[in-house]
Amino acid sequence: MIRRLLLWLGLASALPAGLRAGPDVADAWELVGRHLANDARAGLQAGQEHGSRETVFAAAVVGMDTQPVTEAGLRQVEARLTELARGGDEIADASAYLIGRLYQAHFFTPDYPRAAQEYERLAAKSPGSYWAQLGLVKLALLRLYLLPEPGGPAARLAAAEALLPRLSVLDLQRDAHLVIGRAALFHEQPMRGVLAHLLEADRLGGLTGLRRGELQLQIAELSRREGRWEQARIYFQRFVDENEVDGRVCIVKLKLAEIVEHQRVEGKRP
Amino acid sequence: MKRRPRILMVVLFSASYLAALWWVFTRSAPLVNARPVTIRVAHWQIEKGPPEGFAAVIRRYEELNPRVKVEQVAVPGPVYRQWVRTNLTGGTATDLVEFAYWLQGMNDVPVRYFEPLTRAMNEPNPYNRGTEMAKVPWRLTFADGLYFMLSQSPEIGQIYGATLSQGSSRLFCNRELLEKITGTPAAAPATLVDFRRLCAQVADYSRRTGHIVRPLAGAYSNVQWLADYVMFGTATRMSLELDREGYLGRAPWQAQSDYLRGRWTYRRPELRAGLALLREMTQQMRPGFTQLSRDDAIQEFVRGEALFIYSGTYDATSLKQLAAFPVQAMRLPQPTQDDPVVGPYIMGRYQDGGLGTGFEMYLNKDSPHKAEAVDFLHFLTSVEGGQLFMDHSGWLSSVRGVRVPPELEINRPTSDGFSGGFQYIGVGASSTMSFWQHFNLLVGPQGSVDKFVEAVETGLRKQVTADLRMEIHTFLDASRAVDSEIMAMSALNRLRAPDPERDLRQRTLACNQTLSEINAYQAAWVLEHHGEKQP
Repeated sequence: MIRRLLLWLGLASALPAGLRAGPDVADAWELVGRHLANDARAGLQAGQEHGSRETVFAAAVVGMDTQPVTEAGLRQVEARLTELARGGDEIADASAYLIGRLYQAHFFTPDYPRAAQEYERLAAKSPGSYWAQLGLVKLALLRLYLLPEPGGPAARLAAAEALLPRLSVLDLQRDAHLVIGRAALFHEQPMRGVLAHLLEADRLGGLTGLRRGELQLQIAELSRREGRWEQARIYFQRFVDENEVDGRVCIVKLKLAEIVEHQRVEGKRP
Repeated sequence: MKRRPRILMVVLFSASYLAALWWVFTRSAPLVNARPVTIRVAHWQIEKGPPEGFAAVIRRYEELNPRVKVEQVAVPGPVYRQWVRTNLTGGTATDLVEFAYWLQGMNDVPVRYFEPLTRAMNEPNPYNRGTEMAKVPWRLTFADGLYFMLSQSPEIGQIYGATLSQGSSRLFCNRELLEKITGTPAAAPATLVDFRRLCAQVADYSRRTGHIVRPLAGAYSNVQWLADYVMFGTATRMSLELDREGYLGRAPWQAQSDYLRGRWTYRRPELRAGLALLREMTQQMRPGFTQLSRDDAIQEFVRGEALFIYSGTYDATSLKQLAAFPVQAMRLPQPTQDDPVVGPYIMGRYQDGGLGTGFEMYLNKDSPHKAEAVDFLHFLTSVEGGQLFMDHSGWLSSVRGVRVPPELEINRPTSDGFSGGFQYIGVGASSTMSFWQHFNLLVGPQGSVDKFVEAVETGLRKQVTADLRMEIHTFLDASRAVDSEIMAMSALNRLRAPDPERDLRQRTLACNQTLSEINAYQAAWVLEHHGEKQP
């Protein structure tokens, strides 16, 4: 009997850690993904992996989401992230990126120059990492609208465009083109440049849902205003084909009819 | 002599025993509930119709699912916000909860208390087996593909609810009164000219008979819906002219930015014309209507004191059941390009009724029976469930593939018209409040468009600045919340088996966050350069 009990005890102690009771850090991340910060924090405290980089990182992210958010709480998060950012792994890059985000969007008084500095530093350290690349997209936004320098619209656009060659992740290249194209439109720059960025974003692809429809409409309508009838027709038609329930379909169909008529008058359509 | 009472007692006892047996086996509730799971559904649609629709769906669902009991909890609208907030905070809320993005002061609720349904929305609804929707992802089985819900989502790209219905605003007519007034079995007014002629006939009828009848039942809510309709059509051309970005519409933050940049004011002729038409329409209501509620207008109509009531189709069932006369729903005629008041600004026929679906049901994050609640939601929004709900409520279903009876066709919103996406009845909370605070200067006996415009424009710059500041705040709040989710998706990709769906979610979140920040920073730029400076 005693021998059998010892055997069971031996088997239990040999079970891998993942099969024992108690949540692991991935469970906590699942909860973070559902914005259940308090549950995630409780899970991390009850978990088996205290002190690992993964756990410290998860705790820092939970700290950003825990209510009530306070300046002091965010400063603690920054301290943890700063420590993690000294490493050489993905967690280090993600932490460095989040420090930039803290200065850009989370602290009660944003510090945009400091956020830009953090993104620049990360891009210099790990230029190919996803987080560094995402930081460059955010840096483009800062240069276009928020940093004091460069002052004029053309200079701002040039400063943002200078970041494009450093982007190699296709999704983020696309997003940067959208950011710059829409800024050029906002700052009333020549339409040729606006459309070039938007078309490039479309070429890179990957947008879905509302965002995809918005880009199609924007390219179509701006092309129509420029008299680029065929380009306008193609994009309006795509919008109609993919968005049967959108309230703008009716007006788009009218515009399509007008375009076809223009093309017919110009002899480009039978 | 002594045996007869004893026999009588035995007979009585036997009869009572048999009656008790019959009662226990056929009528009484079981001592132990045969349905181990009870889910509860709360909503505020206590008008005639929806409770009956729910009851019909629940009956059928319980037939199909003997394990589950479903209870509906109907909560009056005036206390709904407090009821929801209190119960969600206290952990006593129902498993499914009606909610809407426009409930004021409740922006934090979805992310905090509701479980997203995004993943489930990508799979077909299992209760649609054997129908034309069998293989269609759940999201696309809704008439609007939940486009409207997605565009209003507090968390970019996340779907939190499923919708049950769709509707529009319609003119409901007292047919008997119409025949009395016109002397013939008159047809619905087809044009605004017909409508104006009918209004004159109503005034004449009142003078002749002494029976005071108004063309339109009046209340504050009904005027708001009327204003939406009138201003939407009149402002469409202006909205499209202001659309520099090529989206063929204006969002609130764009309309606010346009105002601060001096691109529109209420002094613009198209808005002045829209206001003039609105004044003309409100003169067809009883005096003091701005102090009256939606129920007052319904009572005025069912008492036969108004020929028409302009209301949402959600009142259709109530009106038909409460009125002692036949009620006919019809479209309010649209102004045309030859209209003497607004004609020059009308582009053509415009959209009549929102294309988005509504009556949104959300899943309580703390529900002890999430699987059963989602299963019931699947049935409620399946072709069969949608049909049952519509047939018993009289409310148009949000579900594609449901057969709409001819009498409900009129309730269907129309999309075959122009849309500029904005009504300019204020452009945010502060400016909208100002619009309605000054409304008496437009519609009162001594009111005029000039008086209203001058009054509303005073201080509007400050209010629009506040509105834009609030929009920026909302954009950035939503964008900030996404950071932790992006990190979570990335960490799970690192720690668990690769999941293309999770990877896509991470990339989509990152993109949507950036695009949302474009809007926020453009708005901030406008605020910085053109907004009213704070002291």
